[in-house]
Amino acid sequence: MKIPLRSNRKKTAFEVEEELRFHIEMLERKYAQQGMSHAQAKAAAWKRFGNLERVKKQCVHISLRNSLLRRVLKTASILIALTGLLIYILSSDYKVARIGTVLIMIAVCGRLLVYVRGLSPNTHNESART
Amino acid sequence: MANERTDLMQGTLELLILNTLARESMHGYGIVQRIHEAAEDLLKVEDGSLYPALYRMEERGWIKSEWGVSENNRRAKFYKLTSKGKRKLEAESANWNRISKAITKVLQAT
Repeated sequence: MKIPLRSNRKKTAFEVEEELRFHIEMLERKYAQQGMSHAQAKAAAWKRFGNLERVKKQCVHISLRNSLLRRVLKTASILIALTGLLIYILSSDYKVARIGTVLIMIAVCGRLLVYVRGLSPNTHNESART
Repeated sequence: MANERTDLMQGTLELLILNTLARESMHGYGIVQRIHEAAEDLLKVEDGSLYPALYRMEERGWIKSEWGVSENNRRAKFYKLTSKGKRKLEAESANWNRISKAITKVLQAT
């Protein structure tokens, strides 16, 4: 499970950086066309854009939160929980009802895993939301 | 001009983005430029602050992104409005009109 999440993070971070750097380069180009020197245009572009690293962290975090794998895990945990609940409610046999309980516990653990990964120190906590 | 710039009210950046994308799909840089042009540079929008807003809006399903080629032949990510985004824009525009009318009335009354 860790490997796809890691490679996904790397790919996402790369794409976010590419997108943000494109914006900064367009700003540099605009300022250079307005007559600024290369150094002045670069400084003005970075100033206008703001903190690249902070923006990048926020975007990667939001993007991963929205990733396909995460959505699949969320949906699967809901389905497993519902199945477990149905088995637990409808079953009259104690042993079968226990299977329902186990399924509910698996779903809760899966949901917690998704939640914890979303708040792990590697990800940004969006405290600086705009 | 810089001193006369006004900070955006919370939540209004999303409305401005939705409205900008209502005409055509655009990359982030294009969106910011269009907002600055339309507001005649009176709004204080830090360019970088646009992107977390764009990512959140995509997460909510209001906009969709895809990589394309920019006007200067660079790979760029373009955003476009979804049908959910169009409905959101209509609702938020109506809400904004109500709020601004109400505030104007209060200011004129005092």
